[in-house]
Amino acid sequence: MEKHKTTIVVIDDDPDFIDAGTPVLESAFYNVVTALSPNEGKEKIFSEKPDLILLDIMMDSLFDGFSLCNAIKTSKEYKEFKDTPIIFVSAVKEKTGSRFAFRGEEQGMIGPDDYMDKPVKPNDLLARIEKFLKK
Amino acid sequence: MLEKKPVILVIDDEESMRDSCSQALTRVGFRAETAEDGSIGLEKVKETKPDLVLIDLKMPGISGIDVLEKVKEIDPNIISVVITGYATVESAVEAMKKGAYDFLPKPFTPEELRIIINRGLERRELILETESLRKEKKLIEDNFITMVSHQLQSPLVAIQQFFEVILGGMVGEVQEKQKEMITRSRDRMDGLLKLIDDWLDVARLDSGQIVDNIEPLSLKKVIKKIIEDMRPLTQDDNISLELGSCSENDLVQGDKETLEQVFSNLITNAIRYNKPKGKVVITIKENEDFISAEVKDTGIGIAKEHLPFIFDQFYRVKRGEDHKIKGTGLGLSIAKKIVEAHGGSVQVSSELGKGSSFTVLLPKA
Repeated sequence: MEKHKTTIVVIDDDPDFIDAGTPVLESAFYNVVTALSPNEGKEKIFSEKPDLILLDIMMDSLFDGFSLCNAIKTSKEYKEFKDTPIIFVSAVKEKTGSRFAFRGEEQGMIGPDDYMDKPVKPNDLLARIEKFLKK
Repeated sequence: MLEKKPVILVIDDEESMRDSCSQALTRVGFRAETAEDGSIGLEKVKETKPDLVLIDLKMPGISGIDVLEKVKEIDPNIISVVITGYATVESAVEAMKKGAYDFLPKPFTPEELRIIINRGLERRELILETESLRKEKKLIEDNFITMVSHQLQSPLVAIQQFFEVILGGMVGEVQEKQKEMITRSRDRMDGLLKLIDDWLDVARLDSGQIVDNIEPLSLKKVIKKIIEDMRPLTQDDNISLELGSCSENDLVQGDKETLEQVFSNLITNAIRYNKPKGKVVITIKENEDFISAEVKDTGIGIAKEHLPFIFDQFYRVKRGEDHKIKGTGLGLSIAKKIVEAHGGSVQVSSELGKGSSFTVLLPKA
């Protein structure tokens, strides 16, 4: 009897982050599905029905990650995924970049469940993921 | 720029004057609007957004000079030309001082009117062009900082990420010597990222972008958080880091994120430039107009001759044996800029070999 494997979708336009992140997640035996754009991410979310999403903030535009996150959390289209935990992973440091990225929240947009600065420490990343999946 | 007809508003209580002006102006392709007194005139300024306003100085009701000033308040880029009833130099001079572009003594010919108006419109075009260029430049500058941030940091962060994954043993076992070199590479890269970060902060501070969310804040809370964040740094040299006495009132007018940075920079220094088993104590006091926070250490201190320069960008106190001390040379300069943007100040006193004390004064909430 095969146990259901936990699936994580990683959405990031930087292939290097995808390549660096994948082995980390696989080391903890997660099923990793990657996407290099918000659109591809959307497809993968619907086809893979992930247990958790890692999302970059700045992709094609400054707010891509934010828009997608807000859509997942609030829109009808993503209704079945609205409780899927989302972790922002961004190179824009909390104290500088996200000052403006997080303005999205001031505009009434729903933010992520967690936020991590790149580069992420592998153990930190795995610990945070585990925390969400336990719930 | 002025593709649509320029709009000229004539504010004059004499009907004959309004009629003759608007005729002369319409004939050469301007759109003329008229108003018979100052208050109607100002309404029309808001409503028709004229390029140029002709104002009679001597009118019943609001005086021409007052109208002139109010027009400037509504839109400083509208050109005002005043009509002086009798060519008194004084009233014309006063009007020019209040921002009129030119004056026209009565009586004047339609030709004289047109010459002055054309000149005024050219001036306006120039002002508007300069204005739009300035806006464009500002936009580029604002985005430039964000772009540089992203473009410079992304590749470095990607490299860091690979180092982290390798060091985490996620892609196979790493030998001791390899591990050591990659760790050192990662640390150097950390320093570079910190330098870019600091440099961007300086750029943001210089363009006034960073201290933008001023609200009443508990300084004690801010400092407590930073003390907890800094705790790991104290471990190597066994340094004690604690919050000393605190005044009852600790509320300041501050921007939380940047103030956190100020104390993070000061406390980091107090730990780094300390001696093994040294102390760092932060105390908060209430003064008349300010709340002050003192970060006092028992470290190596700063020689008198260096003190005047320590807040300068990239100024480093050169000492032989402190190779292990890493920093970007921007921390204190950033801290000072942030505090000054709050309307506060930073004071320093130090004794070589005994320790330093940095006091931040911030306006009370």
